[in-house]
Amino acid sequence: MDDRKLDELLSDAARSYRVPPEAPLDAIWARVEAEAFAPPAAARRPVPDWRTLAFALAASLVLGVLIGRVSVRGARGADVAAAGTPLAVSAAEASYQREAEELLGSTALLLAALSTQGSTGPAFAQLPEQATRLLTTTRLLLDSPVGRNPRMKALLQDLELVLAQVARLKSRRENVELPLITQTLEERDLVPRIRSAVTDLSAYDY
Amino acid sequence: MPRAAAIAIASDDAAVDERSLIARAVAGDRRAARALYDAHAARVHRLAYRISGDAELAQDLTQDVFVLVFRELPKFRGEAAFSTWLHRIAVTVSLNAMRKVKRLRERETDLDEARHHEHEGGDLDPDLRERLAAAIDALPEGLRLALVMHTIEGYTHAEVGLALGIAEGTSKARVFEARARLRKALGGFLEEM
Repeated sequence: MDDRKLDELLSDAARSYRVPPEAPLDAIWARVEAEAFAPPAAARRPVPDWRTLAFALAASLVLGVLIGRVSVRGARGADVAAAGTPLAVSAAEASYQREAEELLGSTALLLAALSTQGSTGPAFAQLPEQATRLLTTTRLLLDSPVGRNPRMKALLQDLELVLAQVARLKSRRENVELPLITQTLEERDLVPRIRSAVTDLSAYDY
Repeated sequence: MPRAAAIAIASDDAAVDERSLIARAVAGDRRAARALYDAHAARVHRLAYRISGDAELAQDLTQDVFVLVFRELPKFRGEAAFSTWLHRIAVTVSLNAMRKVKRLRERETDLDEARHHEHEGGDLDPDLRERLAAAIDALPEGLRLALVMHTIEGYTHAEVGLALGIAEGTSKARVFEARARLRKALGGFLEEM
């Protein structure tokens, strides 16, 4: 077959190959308009990002810590009765657990504050200072001989990274760190891991 | 341009170019958005149908393309022509859908429907026309898209290249290769006639 004949065939194909039926363009537009220009809440299902999760985590921690304190008191009563059993925790382990609880809770609150205020909130100037304090605690826990759980260790190492980033947020003009912090939180799935750690804290073997 | 778009544009005293329509659409002006839609929807729908061969899917794809376009419009920087950007989205959305819905080529009802809408004019042998359609359908996706967009839909090689994310020269090479395969596929049939 020569090119001329093929051109004829393809010219015909422009009029015959998968020729679309008339499109109901007005109906399609109505759907486009409803979806693309609807108010955000109605148009899109909210996708929880680290900011939402940080909020939820901070809220659940307040409740969780309260419940934990109550149950720890109860457990301690039981420990006294069962003194000498393998379930009894050492003073060092109890101290480690308490510090870890406080660190995770404070970090969640800090991330929640960061997510709501960004670099423009009134309390922004305090965040690097808080992060520096939490960073010190994180490093102490990392160095503690009591902390043997590899999951907790990995979480603390990631917290160390993000807290160091927050600690470097010295001024509102140095916003370049914020996207990096967001990236770290998302890539390392940090907020869900904090939530999981808080939930599982009592189950950890330090 | 469709009448609705023409009315929308003519109602403005000054000549309204696409760039200002885009700016207005980004600002939430639905009439400007509708004018952009009217100017491009038919071609997007036609391309979606040529790619998918499925009437309902082509409508859904057209909808998805414009929803995405209007959501992403604030990010459009005008470095490429709007139509180029739009058609790149259209091709991407259509191909993604095609990959998800692999049954399309087997949907005889839709192919029948497509044939039902075929242009009745011309004196080409119906069998040959059917062979040609089958031969085009049998081409590898990259070759078929380049051929459909350039030879059947009339996009330039530069436009095909931008839409498919390939070089202009690659588009030319793909069309050349597609034509060679069609010649081979149809050659025997023509000799029989």
